[in-house]
Amino acid sequence: MTTAPSAESVELAIGGMTCASCAARVERKLNKVGGVTATVNYATEKAQVSYPNELTIDDLRAVVEAAGYSARLPEPQEPDETPTLRKRLLLSAALTVPLIALAMVPAWQFDYWQWVSLALAAPVVTWGAWPFHRAAAVNLRHVTATMDTLISLGVVASVAWSLYALFFGMAGEIGMRHGMTGESLYLEVAAAITAFILAGRYFEARAKRRAGAALRALMNLGAKDVTVLRGGEERLIPVKGLREGDVFVARPGEKIATDGVVTEGGSAVDTSMLTGEPVPVEVGPGDAVTGATVNVGGRLFVRATRVGEDTRLAQMARLVEAAQNGKAEVQRLADRVSAVFVPLVVLAALATLVVWLATGGQPEDAFTAAVAVLIVACPCALGLATPTALLVGTGRGAQLGILIKGPEVLENTRRVDTVVLDKTGTVTTGRMTLVEGDGEPLRLAGAVEAGSEHPIGRAIADAARQRFGALPAVTEFRSTPGVGVTGVVEGRTVSVGRAEGDGTTVGVAWDGEVRGRLVVADTIKPTSARAVAELRELGLKPILLTGDNAGAARAIAAEAGIGEVVAEVLPEGKVDVVKRLQAEGRVVAMVGDGVNDAAALAQADLGLAMGTGTDAAIEASDLTLVRGDLRVAADAIRLARRTLATIKGNLFWAFAYNVAALPLAALGLLNPMIAGAAMACSSVFVVSNSLRLRRFR
Amino acid sequence: MTEASYTVEGMTCGHCATSVREEVSELEGVQSVDVDVESGRVTVTSDTPLTADAVAAAVTEAGYRLVA
Repeated sequence: MTTAPSAESVELAIGGMTCASCAARVERKLNKVGGVTATVNYATEKAQVSYPNELTIDDLRAVVEAAGYSARLPEPQEPDETPTLRKRLLLSAALTVPLIALAMVPAWQFDYWQWVSLALAAPVVTWGAWPFHRAAAVNLRHVTATMDTLISLGVVASVAWSLYALFFGMAGEIGMRHGMTGESLYLEVAAAITAFILAGRYFEARAKRRAGAALRALMNLGAKDVTVLRGGEERLIPVKGLREGDVFVARPGEKIATDGVVTEGGSAVDTSMLTGEPVPVEVGPGDAVTGATVNVGGRLFVRATRVGEDTRLAQMARLVEAAQNGKAEVQRLADRVSAVFVPLVVLAALATLVVWLATGGQPEDAFTAAVAVLIVACPCALGLATPTALLVGTGRGAQLGILIKGPEVLENTRRVDTVVLDKTGTVTTGRMTLVEGDGEPLRLAGAVEAGSEHPIGRAIADAARQRFGALPAVTEFRSTPGVGVTGVVEGRTVSVGRAEGDGTTVGVAWDGEVRGRLVVADTIKPTSARAVAELRELGLKPILLTGDNAGAARAIAAEAGIGEVVAEVLPEGKVDVVKRLQAEGRVVAMVGDGVNDAAALAQADLGLAMGTGTDAAIEASDLTLVRGDLRVAADAIRLARRTLATIKGNLFWAFAYNVAALPLAALGLLNPMIAGAAMACSSVFVVSNSLRLRRFR
Repeated sequence: MTEASYTVEGMTCGHCATSVREEVSELEGVQSVDVDVESGRVTVTSDTPLTADAVAAAVTEAGYRLVA
C-alpha cells in the first residue's frame, strides 16, 4: 500500500528582488527542488509554494537565500476579531445589567444575592475580560503597560477583593447588604469595566479599515482582454496571455492592454487616469504607450514591451503597497497614558500598604486600602474615551461629506503643517473647457466636433451647444490623428486643427482661410482659491504638485494663491516628493484624485482623496471628500484636530474622576457607591463630551 | 585551458548576472565566469572547450537567451 505524497502549501515574503527576472529566478530555484511547485509574484513580493511534507519551511528559505534573496513567513493576517468581540460584549452586557441593579439598589438585595452576583460576574471577568488578561500578560513579559494592563489589573483586584470578602469576610453571610458594613463587594465594578471597554473595542473593530483594497482597485484598472496579432490573425485573448514582443490592437475607446511601442497607426491617448493630465497625448509609430490608458482616437498597433508585473501600473501598485506597509502604527493615546499611569498606580498601592503598616495599621486594613487603590484606579470611561470621539467624529464627518476610512488617523497627534495639493482634478476641474473663442468659428467647429471622442473636441462641442443650442449636421467627417478633423457643415468644408506647439489651442478654417482660434484649458475650480485661503488660515503651507509643465502649473498656482509649486513630476515621483517633505520634518497632508496620487496619499501623514477621483486614490487615502470640493479639505483637517482634542479631553476626565477617588481609597474609605459614582460620572462626562462633536461646524 | 565569449540577452541587473554565473559555473570543467550586464557579454574560462549547446542550455536554465 502506498500513501499519496501529501503536500503543504505556504506563502513566503521574498525580499531583495529588484526586477522581474529576480522573481523568475527565485521561482526556478524553488521549482528545481523535488516536489516543489512555486509561483513568485514580483509585485506583491510573495511566493506561493506547495511542497512535500518531508521538506520544511527552513529548507525552502535556504533555497531562496542561496539564490541571494531573503524569505520569511509573511506577517500573520490579523484575524477578524469582530464576531468574537461581539459575542463577548453581548454576554458581558447581559450579565452586567442585573449585576449593577442588584449592587446599587439595596431594596432588591434578597438573601444570597451576593452569591448570585458572583455567578453573574464570573463569566464576565474571566471569559469576557480574557482579551485584556491575555494582552496584560504579554505586556508583563515585555515589561510594558498598556490600557489592557490597567483594565486587567483593575478587574483582578476587584474580583480578588470580592472573593476574599465572600469567603473569608462577612460579605458571604446571609442578609448582608451593600454599604452596610465595611465588607463590600466590587464585582459589579469589575463587570462594568469589562463591558464598557468591550463596547469601545467593538466599535473600533467595526470601523477598522480593510487593507489591500487600494491594490485591488489599481489592478482592476487594467484591460481584461486584448486582441493580439499572431500568425497574421487577430485573436482575442486574456491580457494574462500577452507576452513581450506580441503585437496587439487597440481600437478607439479601448484600454491599451499593456506597456508598449506603437508600430502602426496614429491616435490620441487619454492618460488622465494615470497621470492626471486631461490633455490627451498624440502618438504615432515609435511612441511609447502605457497600459491601462485609453485610446481615444484611431486604431493603433502596439508591440508589447512590458507585461504583467513589469508594467507601470504594477509598479504603481507596488509603490502604494510599500507606502502603506511603511506607515508606522500610531501608538494609541490611551496606551501611551496607561504606560505612565500603571506604574504610578502600582507605586501608589505599594505606598499605601507601606504607610498603613508604618503608622501601625492592621495588616488586613493595609491590604484592603492597597487593593482599593488598584480597584478605583482603573477608569471605566477609558474604554469609551477614544471610540466615542471617533464614532461621533466620523458620523459628523459623513454629514459634512467627509468619509473617514481609518478613524485611527484622527488620533495621530502629529500636527499637520503642510498640505500638498495635486493640480489636475483637485485644484482644477480636470476637464477641458472652452476659455476663449466665440461666434461662427465656435458654432461650426462645434458642429464638426459633435461626434468627437477627443476631450478637446468634446469641450468645443459642449461649449457650442451651450451657446447656440442645436448644432448643424456634419457630413464627410474625417479625423486625422495628431492633425485635426474636417467635415462639411452647411455646405462649407470646415477644418478644425491643433495649432502648432500648443495642444490646447485650435484653429478653425473654412473656404481655405483660417477664420478663428479657440482655446480650451483645464480650469481652476471656483472654490479652490477660497479653499487654499482656508487651509492657510489653519496654519498649513500649501504646495501644488503636478506632472504638468511648470508654466501651466504656475498659472494655476497663482490663480489659487499657492506659493510653492513642484511641477513635471512623473506619476511614480509624487510619493518621493511627500517622502522628501517628511524627511524635512514636515507633517504632510496630501489631497489628490488620480492613480498617480495613490502612493503619495498612502505615504502622507493624512491622505485625502477627492470623491470624484479614482478608486485607487480613494482606497489609498484616509479620508474621502465626497463632493470633490477642495474647501471640504479644510473642514476635514479641522474635524481631525477637533476629534483629537476631544479624545485628549476625554482621556483627561476619564482619569481625573478616578484619580480624585484615589486618596479616599488610600485612606481606606472606599466603598462600592463611591467607586460606582466615579465610574458613572466619568462615563457620562466622556460620552457627552464626545457628543459635542456633533455640533462641529 | 580555453576562454570563450558569449552574448546573453535579457539580463537587467546584478541578480541576473549572478543567476547566469551560477548556472554556467555548474558546467563541467568551468574555471571562471565573467558576466557584464551592460553588454550581455559572458566570458567563460574552462579546462576544455565547451559545446555551444551546453552553454545555451545553462543560460536558458538561468532564464535568459544565448544569442551568440
